[in-house]
Formats: sequence, structure tokens, C-alpha cells
Amino acid sequence: MEDSNLGFLFAGFAVVWVGLFAYIIYVSRREQALRREVADLRQELAEREERGGR
Amino acid sequence: MATVAGRHQQGLVARWRRVLGDAQRAKYIFLLLLAAMFVANLYLMLIWAPTERVMGDVQRIFYIHVPPLWVAFIAFFLTFVSSIAYLRTRERSWDNRAFAAAEVGLAFMTVGIIAGAIWGKPVWGTWWTWDAKLTTTFVLWVTYVGYMMVRSYAPVRAQGARWSAVIGIIGFINVPIVYMAAVWWRGLHPDQVTGAFASGGGLEPDMRTAFYFSVLTFVLLFAYLLYHRIGVRRTEDEVGSLHNMLHEGRS
Repeated sequence: MEDSNLGFLFAGFAVVWVGLFAYIIYVSRREQALRREVADLRQELAEREERGGR
Repeated sequence: MATVAGRHQQGLVARWRRVLGDAQRAKYIFLLLLAAMFVANLYLMLIWAPTERVMGDVQRIFYIHVPPLWVAFIAFFLTFVSSIAYLRTRERSWDNRAFAAAEVGLAFMTVGIIAGAIWGKPVWGTWWTWDAKLTTTFVLWVTYVGYMMVRSYAPVRAQGARWSAVIGIIGFINVPIVYMAAVWWRGLHPDQVTGAFASGGGLEPDMRTAFYFSVLTFVLLFAYLLYHRIGVRRTEDEVGSLHNMLHEGRS
């Protein structure tokens, strides 16, 4: 086995695991951002209803 | 009477907290299992499996090249089924499932293709060649990139869902063609070494163990990601409806 081929082996594994890990991070961050947005929008709606009630 | 209703409500809240707590616990247990499988998978692929005589250690890329592509095939099958269900029922939940499976499947397919190209360079002397297997795989990849683009550029959500459902159904026809390409058309890509259409002696038993364990690890990772992506899609819908409610309130 040539040393240079070990580099290819490392690169192959790195691409797959780093790529999928990056996708997991993307999905998690999107989930967190959306949850914050839902909370903000609900609060805004509640405040509006409160103002309308008065 | 009010006290009885209050107690009943408190009981319900406590029960829901227990269920949610269990779901969170189940999620962490699943993630721990996945992490353990990931480590075991590395051990099986890099140490347990014997070195292939002709290609040497670079052949081990096979264990992370084929499983993500198989997972992508499963994902596109789910998109296919969910797209049919969406066109029949027009229920948004089916569209969410189809979209999530396509996106996660595309992520797996992309890393699988790149890993294959990295294996190709030292073995074939080129990163890419327009062999039947590679060409049909590229067409499949482009199809699902198109699927995602149609959704992004469609002026109305329902329209994007309808168009992409058609792509999700037609695009799936290519999956069995990709799977069988190396059997039907002789090219540079190796024949199948496992499954019903395997040629030659197939995989050595220890290699087979490492390979199927890798497939299982990728399938479980896919299941986790799919579950989350469907959840994110639902929250995106919720954000959309909340924005609509606020907009209606303003006008």
C-alpha cells in the first residue's frame, strides 16, 4: 500500500463524516432558529390580542 | 366540580410532561447508540475488515461509499411513495415527508458520490469517467437537485409541492437503473459484490460483516435525520401560518 493512497482513504472518510456532520449542524441550527421565531411570533400575537381586548 | 376539573387538568399536564420527558430520553439513548455504532463502524471498517489484495487499504472507502448511496435510494423511494400520496390526498404532511426524504437523501448521495470519486483517483487514475453507472448516478443526483430547486423557485408553495411531487415520482424510475447499470452495461465501475446480482465470489465474510454494519449505521443516522427534518418542515409551516395571522391582523 502506497503512502499516498492512505491520504485518499483519509480524504474519503473525512468527506463523508464531515459532510454529514455539517448537514446535522445545519438542521439543528434551523430547528433552533425556527423555534425562536415561533416563540416571538406567538408573543407578538398574544400582545396584539391583549391590546385588542382593551 | 371546579376542583375535580382542575385536578384532571393537572394530571393531564403531568402525564404529558412524563411523555415528553421520555421522548427526550429516548432521543438521547438513540443518539448514544448511534455514537457507539459510529465508533464500532470505524473499528470494523479500518481494523477488523481485511485489506484487499489488489487495491490495498484504499478499498476501505467502499464501506462509506456504497451505504450512503443505498440510503439515498431508500430516501428517494420514500419521496416516491409520499409524492404519490400527496397528489392523491393533497395533505401537507405527505408533502413534508417527501421533501424531507429528498433533502436528506440528496445529502447522503452527495457524500457517497464524492467518496466514490476519491476512491476512483488511485484505482482508475481519474476522479470521474462517463461510465454507465456513473452517468446514471449523476442524472439521478441532478434530478433531485432539480427537485429542490423547483421547490425554492415555485411562486406558490402548493404549486412547488405539486411540481416536485411529479419529479419525485418520475425521478425514482432511475433508481433501479442506477442499481443495475453495472450489470446491464459493462464499464469501468466494478460489478456488484453483494446482493442478488453479485458477480464472482462476492465479499469475504469479515468484509461482509463490516459492510452490513456500515449500512445499518447509515440507515439509523438517516432515520434520525429524517425524523428531525420532518419536524423542522412542520415548524416552517407553523411559522408561515403565524406570519399569515399577523398579516391578516394588520390589514
